[in-house]
Amino acid sequence: MKGTASLAALWSEAFEGLVRARRMTSLSIALIAISIGLVGAFFLVAENLRGVVETVRDESAVTVFLRPGVTAADRADLERVAKDSRLVARMKRVTPDEARARFSDWWRSLAPAARALPTNPFPESLEIDLDPSALSSQAVPGFLKNLAAHRAVEEVQFDVDWIRRLRGAVQLAKAAGFVLAALLTLGAAFTIANVVRLTILLHRDEIEVLRLVGAPELLIRGPFVLGGLAQGLLGAALAVGGLWVVYRGVIAWVVATKNAFLGVFAVRFLPGSTSLLLLLFGLTAGVVGGLLAVRRKNLAG
Amino acid sequence: MIEFYRVAKEYQGRRVLRDVTFQAKKGEFLFLTGPSGAGKTTLLRMIFRAEKPTEGQIIVNGMNVSGMPPARVPALRRSMGVVFQDYKLLPRRTVLDNVTYVQKFLGVPAAERRRRAYQTLRLVELHHRMSALPEELSGGEQQRVALARALVNAPVLLVADEPTGNLDHRLAHEVMKLFVEISLRGTTVLVATHDQDLIRTTGRRCLTLDGGRVVEGLVEGALPPQASHRRDEAAP
Repeated sequence: MKGTASLAALWSEAFEGLVRARRMTSLSIALIAISIGLVGAFFLVAENLRGVVETVRDESAVTVFLRPGVTAADRADLERVAKDSRLVARMKRVTPDEARARFSDWWRSLAPAARALPTNPFPESLEIDLDPSALSSQAVPGFLKNLAAHRAVEEVQFDVDWIRRLRGAVQLAKAAGFVLAALLTLGAAFTIANVVRLTILLHRDEIEVLRLVGAPELLIRGPFVLGGLAQGLLGAALAVGGLWVVYRGVIAWVVATKNAFLGVFAVRFLPGSTSLLLLLFGLTAGVVGGLLAVRRKNLAG
Repeated sequence: MIEFYRVAKEYQGRRVLRDVTFQAKKGEFLFLTGPSGAGKTTLLRMIFRAEKPTEGQIIVNGMNVSGMPPARVPALRRSMGVVFQDYKLLPRRTVLDNVTYVQKFLGVPAAERRRRAYQTLRLVELHHRMSALPEELSGGEQQRVALARALVNAPVLLVADEPTGNLDHRLAHEVMKLFVEISLRGTTVLVATHDQDLIRTTGRRCLTLDGGRVVEGLVEGALPPQASHRRDEAAP
């Protein structure tokens, strides 16, 4: 009970201090919000790139275009090669007529032109769905090479390299996000430390009196550390809130403009765990900043 | 309760106090007097460890104050009440907050704090100004708030530096009566003052600082005539 009352008193003192120095506090919270917001923006981009990778990966398939006039024996041999591979989940043969019908269905305005051609320009193909767990396998390039070298094959199309590059970009964005987070959290901590140090200077007379009447060190330093913590947490909350507003704005813009590119992907907000992580960055910056500010040399009696 | 053994204090090579030895028993009331700059404030500040002696030993309530680790100083200060010459009130806090500020953080409930503050402020006739800020009070009223703050914890030792300096004659004697009552309840009271009239009328033991040394004086003891010539040796 006593502990709770003391803690409540320390918090009320900390908030009173923040309100008293409201201009400096607001500036500090805004700077922290910008720092954490930048980190959050990085994570938001990484999260959505990851979404793009997942979307593309789900729809990925190897398309093997056959040579014109391929023999039935060669086609059967190619299908056997594909079927025998552990990497293949499903396989479908697409005839030139099916390919033309599909084209006409996708691009309706061009369908009459496709029909008007004297011969069917669409080649016969095999559509192979790879096992999703095999996408990152080292065996995939070899398998694709084998297919491309087969006498029945004209061309093999597969986006695995692009997906790999995209996944690499996601990982890079995430790693950069963490490096940025570390740097900006440190920057935010120093911002908080300086604001708290200025607050300490403003309260120098009070600190002296408190020491003389026997106030425990926890009472003297505690409110400043808690003040830093509150600034960090408020700044981070503001950053997460700001990112959410931006995210809603982007969604509204995509819907309003019917943006064809972005409309393909499901744009999503940061998961709860990442939002909590951002709050944790703010909290850490606040505590570290507060502790830096109340070092003995700044609060020497 | 208070024991000084051969205590000396030096500021930048200048001796302010030398070979100060005296004892004050539990519940004793004693004055400390001497001309301005004689070292009264320095001596008092050593009792609550705002200053460390250059030499000698100070024992307060059984604790060796001179060798006390800094972490234990706050508890020592909380066990005693101190009235500062310049009051040292918190300028942005009300009278109530000034009197009970530290208690708030020690977990004393608000109602209890208010009750204690009211009772103590009543003693110094300021119970009707609990919500006032120090700047709204006269010098005498501020001094009484400082007095209330020193008394609110029922301290075992009360140290007061010129506690009646800004009070009128009637109130000064009322405060002295209060100090005597407090000492009769078992609190040791040490009051630094140069008001010889107050010392005479209160009729208690008096320590006189002269040239940095303590001269045990009687109640009637006024400043020794040579004291004024030694002022140049004294501390700030």
